Amino acid sequence: MHKDVTDRRATQSPQRRSRFVWTPYLFIALPVIYSLVFSGYPLLKGLQLSLTNAKLLNPNGGRFIGADNYVELLGNPATWASIGVTVFYTLLVVVASTLLGLASALLINESFFGRVVVRAMLTVPWAVPTVAVALVFIWMFNDGSGILNTFTQALGLGRFGWLTNPDVALFSVTLATLWKVTPFVMLVLLAALQSVPAELIEAAKVDGASPLRTFRVVTVPAIMPTVRVVVLLMTIWSFRRFEIIWLLTGGGPVNATNTMVISVYRTAFNNNELGLASALGMIGVVMSLAVTVIYAFVDRRGESR
Amino acid sequence: MKGRRRLTRTLRGLGALAMALAAFFPFYWIINTSMTPTDKLYSGQQTVWLDLSRAQYAFQILVADSPFLRWLTNSAVVATGTTILGVLLALLAAYALSRYRFSGKGAFSFVFFSSQMLPEALIVVPLYATFVSLRLLDQHAGLVLANTAFAMPVAVWILKAAIDGVPVEIEESARVDGCGPLRSLHHIILPVIAPSLAAAAVIAFFDAWNEYLFATTFIRTKDLWVASTGLASFQGEYQTPLDLVFSGAFIFALPAVVFFLLVQKRIVSGLTAGSVKG
Repeated sequence: MHKDVTDRRATQSPQRRSRFVWTPYLFIALPVIYSLVFSGYPLLKGLQLSLTNAKLLNPNGGRFIGADNYVELLGNPATWASIGVTVFYTLLVVVASTLLGLASALLINESFFGRVVVRAMLTVPWAVPTVAVALVFIWMFNDGSGILNTFTQALGLGRFGWLTNPDVALFSVTLATLWKVTPFVMLVLLAALQSVPAELIEAAKVDGASPLRTFRVVTVPAIMPTVRVVVLLMTIWSFRRFEIIWLLTGGGPVNATNTMVISVYRTAFNNNELGLASALGMIGVVMSLAVTVIYAFVDRRGESR
Repeated sequence: MKGRRRLTRTLRGLGALAMALAAFFPFYWIINTSMTPTDKLYSGQQTVWLDLSRAQYAFQILVADSPFLRWLTNSAVVATGTTILGVLLALLAAYALSRYRFSGKGAFSFVFFSSQMLPEALIVVPLYATFVSLRLLDQHAGLVLANTAFAMPVAVWILKAAIDGVPVEIEESARVDGCGPLRSLHHIILPVIAPSLAAAAVIAFFDAWNEYLFATTFIRTKDLWVASTGLASFQGEYQTPLDLVFSGAFIFALPAVVFFLLVQKRIVSGLTAGSVKG
C-alpha cells in the first residue's frame, strides 16, 4: 500500500486538510470522458438502435418499434443456434487454453537448455497480426494443398474438410484460436508459478511429500487466484472474439461457426438490419455481464473459505 | 538418482522444444509460402524446407506492382496516431490513479476496464452510424479516435503499475521545492518509467497496426485501406498469387514479432502485477 502524495501535506498543515484536491480529476477527466464517448455512448446508442427498425443505408432513420426486435430474435431458432455455438466455442477455448497453458507453464518452469529461445518463440503467436494468422491457417487448412491434410494423410488418417466440413469447422477455428491465445495464458500462469514462495515447496519436500502431492496442496492453491482471473478473461474474450472467426469462415459453413458477434456483424452489414443487429448485440452484452457477475460471486465465495 | 534427474530434464527440454516448434511453425509457414511459386503451391508441391531459389521475386512484385506499400504507410500513420494519443491520455490517467486517492476512483477504473469487455462487433454498429453523421467515414483520423479508446486501458494498466513502483518520496521533495504535478510527471516520473512507457507504446502501436474490424468497416476507399484490410481482401479468391499475399503477410507481421520479442518480459510483468499478488 503506497503512500498518497497528498498525505504529508494533510498532516503537516492541518488547516489544509479539508482543501479539495482537484488535480486528479483534471488528470483523469479527459481519458475517462474519452472512454465514455467510445464505449459508453455506443452502448447506449446500440440500445437505442435495438429498439428501432433502422437499416444500414439509413442508420439514423429508424422508427421506434419497442421490443419487436428482441421478440423476433428470441423466437428465431437461428438465434439460439448462435448462442449455442458461442457457448460451445467459449467452453472449448477456455478449458483447452487453461489446461494447455498450465501444462506448458509447468513444463518450462524449471530451467533447461535453450529456455530463452523457447520463451521467445512462444511470443510469436501473440505478436502475429490476426489477419496474417487467418491467412496462413486458411492455407494450412486447405483441402487440396494444405500442409495439415498432407500431414494427416501421411499418418494414415485421411484428409479432412477443416474449414469446409460443418462438423469440423468449429474445431478448426478453435485450433487456430488456441494457437494464438495459449501462449498468453502460459506466460501469465508461468509468472504465477514463479511467485509461489520457494519456502513452502521446500517445507513440503522436507515433510516427504511427493511432487504430485506438493503440486496439489501447495502450488494449486497459490496459483488459484491467477487461474480464476485467466478463466474470466478468456471467457469474456471468447465471447468477443471476432476477427479470427470472421476471416477463417465468416460464420460458416452453414452457420457452424456463427457465434453471436459474427451474427451481429452479418445481420448489420450483410442483411442491412441495423436495429436487429443491435438487439442481438445487446443480448450478447447481457450474457457477458451475467458471466462477470457469476464470476464475482464465485470469486467471493472462494475467498471467504 | 542422477540419471533419473537427467531423464526428466531431457524430457522437459524435448517437450518445451515441441511447444516452441508448434508456436513458431505457422509463422515459419508464412515465410515458406511466400518463397514458393504459386503454381507449385496449388499443385501440392510445397516443401517443408525452404526453397530459396526464387525468394526475392514475390517481394519485388509486391512492392512494385501493388498498392501494398501505400497500405503499409496507412497502417503506420494510423498506428502512430493511436500510440501518441493513447499513451498521452493513459499517462495522465495512470498518474492520477497511482498518486491520488479521490472519490470516484473505483468508478473511473471501472469505466476504463469495462471497455475491454464490450465486443467490438457490437460497438462497431452504433459507431458506424455515428461516424456517418459526423462524416468520419473514410477518414484515418476517425480510425485513430476509435482505436485509441481501446488501446488506452491496457496502457493505463501498464503505466499505473510502473508509476506505483516509483517512490513517492522523490516527488514529495520536489513538491516542497514548488514543482507541480505536471512538471514532476514530466521530469521525474517519465525518465524513470521509460521502459514501461516503451512497452505501453509498443502495445498501443501494434494494437492499432493489427486491428482489422474498425479499419475495414470505417475505411471504404481502396487507396486509404490499411494493410490488414488489404491483406484480408485477398483470401478466398481462386487465382490469388499466394506467394505475393504471403510476402505481404510476412512484411506485415515482422515488425510486430520483432517488437513484441523486445518488450515481452515487461508486458507480462506489468499485466500480472495485480493478479499475482492476490
